[in-house]
Amino acid sequence: MSEQKRFQPSNRVLVVGGGMGGIRAALDLAETGRDVVLVDKGFAIGGLMTQLDRTFPTNNCDLCTLSPHLSASGRKLHIQLMAMTKLCGLDGEAGHFKATLTTAPRYIDLMKCTGCGECFRKFPESVRFIPGLDHRAPTCMRYPQGTPFAYSIIKDERTDFAGLAGVCPAGAILPDDAEKVQEIEIGSIILAPGAEVFNPQILDSYRYSRHPNVVTSLEYERILSASGPTKGDLVRPSDGKRPRKIAWIQCVGSRGIQEGSVPYCSSACCMFALKEAIVTRERFYEDVETTLFYMDMRTSGKDYELYLQRAINDYGIRLVRARPHSVESVMEAGTPAGDLLIRYLAQGEDSLKTENFDMVVLATGFRVSPEAKDLAAKIGVDLNEHGFARAGSFDPVATSRPGIYVCGMFESPKDIPDTMVQASAAAAAAAKDLTPLRVVAQAREELPPEREVAGEVPRIGVFVCDCGLNIGGVVNVEEIAASAASLPQVVVAETIGHGCSRESLEHIQATIWSKRLNRVVVGACSPRTHEGLFQEAVRRAGLNKYLVEIANLRDQDTWVHRDLPSAAAAKAKDLMRMAVASVRLARPLADQTLPMNKDVLVVGGGIAGMTASLRLADLGYKVHLVERLKELGGVAKQMRRTLEGEDVRAFVDDLIKRTEGHDRIKVWKQAMVVDHSGMAGMFRTGLQVGPQMFYREIRHGITILATGALPHRPDEYYWGRHRAVRTQLELEAFLEDHSEDVQVWDKVVMIQCVGSRVPENPNCSRVCCQAAVKNALKILEINPKAQIVVLYRDMRTPGFEEDYYRQAREKGVIFAAYNPEARPVVEPEGGKVAVRFTDPILGRELTVSADCLALSTGMIADEESTEDLGMIFHLPRTPDGYFLEDHIKLRPIDLPIPGFFVAGTAHAPKTIRETIAQAQAAAGRAQTFLARDSINLGAAVARVYGELCAACLICVRSCPFGVPFINEEGYSEIDPSKCHGCGVCASECPAKAIQLRQYEDDHIMAKIDGLMEGIR
Amino acid sequence: MENFEPVILAFCCHYCAYTAADMAGSMRLRYPPNVKIIRVPCSGKVDAIHIMKSLEKGADGVYVAGCLEGDCHFKNGNGRATHRVEYLKKLLDEIGIGGERVEMFAMSAGMGERFAQTATDFTEKIRQLGPNPVKAAPQNQRAAG
Amino acid sequence: MITAERKPIEELIQSVKPYRSILLAGCNECVTVCAAGGRKEVGVLASALKMHFLKAGKPFEIQEITLERQCDPEYVEQLASNLDQVDAVLSMACGCGVQEVARRFHNKPVFPALNTKFMGASERQGVWSERCQGCGDCVLGYTGGICPVARCSKQLFNGPCGGSSNGKCEVDPNVDCAWQLIWDRLKALGMTERYEENLPAKDWRPAGGAGPRRIIREDMAL
Repeated sequence: MSEQKRFQPSNRVLVVGGGMGGIRAALDLAETGRDVVLVDKGFAIGGLMTQLDRTFPTNNCDLCTLSPHLSASGRKLHIQLMAMTKLCGLDGEAGHFKATLTTAPRYIDLMKCTGCGECFRKFPESVRFIPGLDHRAPTCMRYPQGTPFAYSIIKDERTDFAGLAGVCPAGAILPDDAEKVQEIEIGSIILAPGAEVFNPQILDSYRYSRHPNVVTSLEYERILSASGPTKGDLVRPSDGKRPRKIAWIQCVGSRGIQEGSVPYCSSACCMFALKEAIVTRERFYEDVETTLFYMDMRTSGKDYELYLQRAINDYGIRLVRARPHSVESVMEAGTPAGDLLIRYLAQGEDSLKTENFDMVVLATGFRVSPEAKDLAAKIGVDLNEHGFARAGSFDPVATSRPGIYVCGMFESPKDIPDTMVQASAAAAAAAKDLTPLRVVAQAREELPPEREVAGEVPRIGVFVCDCGLNIGGVVNVEEIAASAASLPQVVVAETIGHGCSRESLEHIQATIWSKRLNRVVVGACSPRTHEGLFQEAVRRAGLNKYLVEIANLRDQDTWVHRDLPSAAAAKAKDLMRMAVASVRLARPLADQTLPMNKDVLVVGGGIAGMTASLRLADLGYKVHLVERLKELGGVAKQMRRTLEGEDVRAFVDDLIKRTEGHDRIKVWKQAMVVDHSGMAGMFRTGLQVGPQMFYREIRHGITILATGALPHRPDEYYWGRHRAVRTQLELEAFLEDHSEDVQVWDKVVMIQCVGSRVPENPNCSRVCCQAAVKNALKILEINPKAQIVVLYRDMRTPGFEEDYYRQAREKGVIFAAYNPEARPVVEPEGGKVAVRFTDPILGRELTVSADCLALSTGMIADEESTEDLGMIFHLPRTPDGYFLEDHIKLRPIDLPIPGFFVAGTAHAPKTIRETIAQAQAAAGRAQTFLARDSINLGAAVARVYGELCAACLICVRSCPFGVPFINEEGYSEIDPSKCHGCGVCASECPAKAIQLRQYEDDHIMAKIDGLMEGIR
Repeated sequence: MENFEPVILAFCCHYCAYTAADMAGSMRLRYPPNVKIIRVPCSGKVDAIHIMKSLEKGADGVYVAGCLEGDCHFKNGNGRATHRVEYLKKLLDEIGIGGERVEMFAMSAGMGERFAQTATDFTEKIRQLGPNPVKAAPQNQRAAG
Repeated sequence: MITAERKPIEELIQSVKPYRSILLAGCNECVTVCAAGGRKEVGVLASALKMHFLKAGKPFEIQEITLERQCDPEYVEQLASNLDQVDAVLSMACGCGVQEVARRFHNKPVFPALNTKFMGASERQGVWSERCQGCGDCVLGYTGGICPVARCSKQLFNGPCGGSSNGKCEVDPNVDCAWQLIWDRLKALGMTERYEENLPAKDWRPAGGAGPRRIIREDMAL
């Protein structure tokens, strides 16, 4: 065994860029047992997201969701992390690349630096630390939980190196450190260099560089952030006063034609500006007025429209459709007073208005950095006209050079969930170029032996997380810790800042050792998301992982009782008392494991299902693909071309051919899922197949749901009743098949948002704006004389779709906004239809006789199918019938039940490009499960105390899975490897002879007692 | 009695109601802080004894929140819980505590709004009912004596 | 098993009302199995009674215990140490258990918490029905394994009465006619000739007609 080399040089992946995308891709690869070299030019990984205060649409703080990923990145044995390193050259081809890496000197030995900060205290000018709004650059630890957790030194600032080296207690300072160049062998590359935030200095009229109260949205995030320069206090830079009136200006530097602007849309700015405004209102409510000046509100992601509605209705955020040209200083007695003046012409109004604001936030978009462009040139990756890596719709993460993949902002401007999706897709694609993994000897982290705690008197350590302002901003965490300190057997109770940061976890571990703790309580966020992290932490400190209990102080207390801080504090104390009472009784438990079934079930044979199936089958897994219709292809079969002009039909036909011809894919057509049981790694699903409805049982380890959505069929505007009225999908086919009819059209009207963004279907269908633009351009190609009017609410053409929207306008397509209160009215007029609408610029009613009326009807969830499958698989859905993912921001592909993944429009409306990326990503995420040889069932299994058992059979009869039986000794026995852990037997047992581990009766009683103690 | 703040325990299934409660948090919905949640793997795990003891120890109201009908991760744990709660309602009526102090609710993981609404409505109902007589009686006596 | 069900709570309250503290004793035998008097029911009833008296403002304490069996003196003896501290015992055993506790602790009032019903079997989860009346002279061998004593409302020994219709009993249409069952079973066994044989008049002395019954195993009861 020892001869076998685990680390295969050319069988690893180089990930360039340590932001969210790079980290996700590296983690996905590491979880499948692949080796990864993760390089970042910065001093610590984390990217842009670490500087944000919170992210939409959960308004969660980022550090708490990101830092577990970061510390995971730091510790994964398969990941070699190289900060301050660039990729400088590349030879060879996919599967056998030779990459040249250059590492800048840090002057600090990472192995020795403990991050104590002694050097920074003594020589602050030459040691890099937190920046915030301070323009001093370069910087190192951009936020307090940096990975690697080490400082770095700016050599230019320092002549007395010996003196500096002398202050380091760890002897980690290396005065003679120099640039290192090395060549490594790799199989494939993932480019995730991210993007830069546009610097609005060049747009002089916004006074960004001249007025301190004009800030970019990223700077505003830093002001709101608990780890920022004002520690989360909202004050304006000029005079430190709390602003009362803040304006956001959208599209600064994006969607523009003036010098310094870029023509594309930066995609994420509408949502982040809304988020900043909501967070501001949430914290300061009536005290701060928030106004957004926008061109189109582009909230087309999953449930983003609901977020927009909440922003308007629940938070009172004022939206003004206008693009202010400039920001002026308000003068008082001849000097600037700090306030700012905006002149604007709002849509629907005829005169220019002026309004004063205390602060102006510029929603600046994204650019590819010159360094990233340079890198692309060096390694031979084509860029598009905007400088982003060129990738096609049908393989959205593949660059022009085989073996090199791209994810995140470098592909196109996008938000975090889309970046996460592409990262997993890129990881799956990159794995394809490596030789199949045969060496299974997985590296294991060396853990200290578990300490025997049975018989010891409980010594409980209590740690209260402030979670930035999420907890600490509502209740006084010191007070919560102090109250827990008074409870019996609590040895230590303290606050720990961000509990999930690497620093805090290490502190908890150190405290466990130093105080000989044998139980731990963490007051933090939800155990649903963070229990595993804290369990691992206590395990690394030599305790069984079930000796920690988490009190949900954030999601179930401070987030929901912000308006009642003293009641929230009292509840926090109650929750802590309950947790302490329960952890006192915690017992060390062992996890159950079972061998993993590596077959895959994919439900839905559209583009998403076929793409995911092929990816996994190509990697060697057997795939069962279930389609309820007679043919594969799904809704895409009705489409002809993408917005960019690619041939959808040829692509789908080829996909079908490859899927049906693949020897590891079994396609089940006319098949319905009828039953399901088991858990990840050992699922069983029953199908009824073919017209005869034969029953087949499939055993599989994971399940991918790709059941798609339905084109909406409207019952308004004479659709289906007048031949001039078509949906965009029908129009697309008509344009290809009947161009001679199109040549004689005089006028065409398109109505957007038919059946979307309405009370019955509140979300945006995402694809209709680009479909309208696509069809409008096609009509003009056939018949340049046609007059086209598009009646819209917001034109949502994010990213490079904006180019086509601009083209359409340039070619004379008229885009006229309508109000949902004054929807267009359609009347038949012989072979034509008359469309009456209010022109927003003329402000009066117009009527157009249209030869063709195209309705942008969008998509609706396939309720019938998601409802059935949701029931059979026990998966939750959103109120509008799409599958609900595990975490809308960071786990957009994983469903809440382990072993289930979602791809395509079963998740939310999306384009073909996005669908393919998500399908590839689902295959990537699936692989992280399939690479394991065993599945962990956890420790929550039922245990029978035989001496109490009356052999009454009540458990035998009540178990939903038929597990208990009466054994030879005459009492009930439950096989822990078959137990699903529901606890029904335990609660039914009339003799109280069964206990469900982790949820024993005495634990629950202790929680009840713990609560009541404080109340009595 | 106007300052009566009921103590309410909610036994929430990990797969639905507990997640819905977290969702209510993500959505920054508001509900009364009176509700304290105990997480269980399935509403079918909630033992009659746990509900009874909660009330006996002074809770003013107890509810069990499980998955929607037919959605139980473990087939029918939520159905069992519903029947158990019905049984206890009768018993509680008989001893004069009032069966309306316990309730069974169903929701799915995505229903943050329903979680908050349920918590608000139930708290309001218990507030109307007044303190658990178990807790109130000795106090009244003390006041009288 | 011996089946039982809990008495109405009001009756239980009346019986224990005069006392300040009681011992609530369950039994881990038949009444556990029929979900009437095991550990769980003890817990639920204790809670209910405590709440009732707390609400009424009456000081009242309950100790809970569940014995392996209340009908064996060795197990009952385990109550001895608890009994000093209580004024009365409320037993959740069948009538046998209640009496055994009362016999052992002659100076403590003992009250039944259950109504003992019958000797029966589980029809399915949560449903028990009568199968045997302990007549002391079993005829099941003649009747295809179905007891006409316990399961025929009229205890007929030679075929059904005129009230059997569609296989159901005229006394309670939810109850199967025992003789219909006997006939079906004999037919299935190919033993319909048994039906023709007249059973002689039953001797009811072993059924208790000659006073309380005992069993003595001479070999064991040395």
